[in-house]
Amino acid sequence: MSPSNETAEGREAPLVIVGAGQAGAMAARALRELGHAGELVLIGDEPHAPYERPPLSKAVLADEGMPDIGLLPEPFQAQSGLALKRGRRVVRLDPARRELHLDDGGVQPYRACLLATGGGVRVLPALPPGTPGVHYLRTLDDARGLRAALRTARSLLVIGGGFLGLEIASTARALGLDVTVIELGPALLGRVMPPEASRWLATRVQAHGVRLLLGAKLSGLEAVGGGIAATLADAGELRAELAVVAVGQEPNVALAREAGLLIDAANGGIRVDARCRTSAEGVYAAGDCASGFDAATGTHRRLESWQNANEQARIAAAAMLGEAAEPPPPPWFWTDQFGCNIQMLGHGAPGLAYHLRGPLPEGREPGKAMLFGIDGDRLVHAIAINAGGDLRAFRNVLGRSLACAPETLADAGIPAKQLARLALGPASA
Amino acid sequence: MNWTRIAAVDEVEDDAGLPFKLDGRELALFRSGGEFFAADNICTHQYALLTDGYVEDGCVECPLHQAQFDLRTGEPRCAPATQPIRIYPVKVEDEAVYVAVE
Repeated sequence: MSPSNETAEGREAPLVIVGAGQAGAMAARALRELGHAGELVLIGDEPHAPYERPPLSKAVLADEGMPDIGLLPEPFQAQSGLALKRGRRVVRLDPARRELHLDDGGVQPYRACLLATGGGVRVLPALPPGTPGVHYLRTLDDARGLRAALRTARSLLVIGGGFLGLEIASTARALGLDVTVIELGPALLGRVMPPEASRWLATRVQAHGVRLLLGAKLSGLEAVGGGIAATLADAGELRAELAVVAVGQEPNVALAREAGLLIDAANGGIRVDARCRTSAEGVYAAGDCASGFDAATGTHRRLESWQNANEQARIAAAAMLGEAAEPPPPPWFWTDQFGCNIQMLGHGAPGLAYHLRGPLPEGREPGKAMLFGIDGDRLVHAIAINAGGDLRAFRNVLGRSLACAPETLADAGIPAKQLARLALGPASA
Repeated sequence: MNWTRIAAVDEVEDDAGLPFKLDGRELALFRSGGEFFAADNICTHQYALLTDGYVEDGCVECPLHQAQFDLRTGEPRCAPATQPIRIYPVKVEDEAVYVAVE
């Protein structure tokens, strides 16, 4: 404990993390790895120790046994001296006094505080959580509830064809349920994938026996005896025993907003700088709740991804200790569904020219492919289908002007590493 | 030790891996920085062949979720893996690579 950090009472106030999800838990680990030996408090509103969320829509739903998804290894929990407060909610942040007020009336002082409050499910007013037969998926308890329901149901209606909805549909279909996915948009994942990839994925979803309705406008939605009835503007009525609503999430920013922190109007996240500092002294934010600075575009973005939570946790932890941190690697995302591991580097945008290093695997077949999204002569987006190892070679190419013709990227005859070297040009040698 | 010949030295490119089976186990021979390493080929996080991944600086990265393993120790270097992969003894003799699995 350094004397300069001590309060007037001679006791150093702890570092406190609000939110025990991916970002919160990884920040706790990073703070210890960076050598913070003083008090460290992690406050989470769930009853469980911190866990990974990506398996909730996959292994946790599919398996009878409980896969190990813990984020804090037992030795860390035992030896780190971390004060983990579970089932506890922070109700007020007072940045002027550097205090957090808890739902049990307690007051937690802090020297520096990290908001890693994540997000909550976006609710469909017609089917609020708690409606019989209706499920939302965000927490481990949500996943357990849905898993139990999937064991006995024969049919499932998934409302929302985003990443989460599709992963749940994939798992439920593998469990043998009759699955329908309804998506308001005209294309699957149309905001993050080019049309050829959207069409490919839609075909794959259907090849697995899932009924997929795109451009589906719901005109009615209600819980009926023994299930859910959905009325579509132009496709009549659908009935299923269960419904999962997966229409996105909302960042949890109430604490920050009420404390007067700057919230980004464009994306609803807590505005932070490149070091994850919010507009309030001593308060940091990371993960799904944060609107982070994207150096590549000079803009702020809120990213809901496992990688972003890890990276911002690492950067925020360093900043809380007054240390510099390496900048984050390019944005990276994965989804596992319908027998495919799909990964993305960078961000898609309208107007990119895509080059396919194919062919795209047909029907339910395995096989690998990549799509490269080019803006002018720069690679700004890359999609890999069952080709994560190949995609990895392009991490250094992202954002750079290509030293080869963009069409060259489509040449599947050139090994990925060699292709990446061609794209980087002599400068990479 | 019971050595088994796995490949000729020039069959494995640098910063790449070669899958092989021995005693019913799925194993991999990696080469990085000119050095050879033998390891389990299945990621400890989720089923995937590490030889489909990315090799660099004495480390292999899983193709599915970018978990990294140190090829000298087998220890995971980053999430999401938490358990190590096994590493096996390797020797190079007469331009061939041998592995001992016991």
